[in-house]
Amino acid sequence: MRQALLLAALAFIPGIGEAIYFRDKVSWQSPIPASEMVTQTQARAWRENTIWVDARPDAEFEREHIPGAVLLNEDRWNELLPQFLTVWSPEKRVVVYCSSQSCNASREVARRLRDEAQLKNVFVLQGGWEEWLKSRK
Amino acid sequence: MAQVAKVKFVWRIVDLVVGGIFIYAGAIKALDPIRFASDIDNYKILPWMIAAGLAFYLPWLEILCGLALISRRLYLGGLSILTALTSVFILAAVAAKIRGLDITCGCFGHASKSWNFSGHLALDLAILAALLALYFKVASGNRLRNAV
Repeated sequence: MRQALLLAALAFIPGIGEAIYFRDKVSWQSPIPASEMVTQTQARAWRENTIWVDARPDAEFEREHIPGAVLLNEDRWNELLPQFLTVWSPEKRVVVYCSSQSCNASREVARRLRDEAQLKNVFVLQGGWEEWLKSRK
Repeated sequence: MAQVAKVKFVWRIVDLVVGGIFIYAGAIKALDPIRFASDIDNYKILPWMIAAGLAFYLPWLEILCGLALISRRLYLGGLSILTALTSVFILAAVAAKIRGLDITCGCFGHASKSWNFSGHLALDLAILAALLALYFKVASGNRLRNAV
């Protein structure tokens, strides 16, 4: 028991060090910083300057998606990214969505678009597809 | 005598393999704590603030416990923590599956992203079995020593 407590206490040292190192990159309030989240109303107001990105699996996209949305999920990232880049242009805002508020895919795709593809103006749609469907009713 | 040495050698290999797995898993997550925080959050069990805190802490705990197994320092402590962590993780993964959550376990960072649920579960159960075997080996060794 004493050994376990000692190990548990020791792990705090590098853990705290790393948290300090990443202090500017992590938001402690929400998984997605407010500046990277967008509501449907805001995104719709951007009109043709918006590229909707569907981060759900292929089958769900094929069943139904936001009109004009481009499929870009992590399962086929390497294959779909070049297709997405053909419709992307620097002045456009990218709005990524997945199935609901609780899903993780939109967050991951948005993060990869920012980090790996070095894109700016990438947002996550609040409430995702579920919220979109509600607003349609 | 040779038989005893062989058995000891096999147990040592188990120590090294299990310890190595946790050092690797911890290191991969320590390199990308933000992604790991997102993976923990995906289980929808803890508030984000705690998930983010754990993402900075748990990888180092895994690394230290893995090192404890390999170096045989604080051995029982490391073994106990890893057994508890693995058990909690298996329960959380099964609970998430039952709740229909689309989870990425994040156990081996991005490397395990494409694994399916049964693959994850099989590996975790194998690790848990190895940890329990090590634990009972130590316990039975202690009992023998106390009897002598």
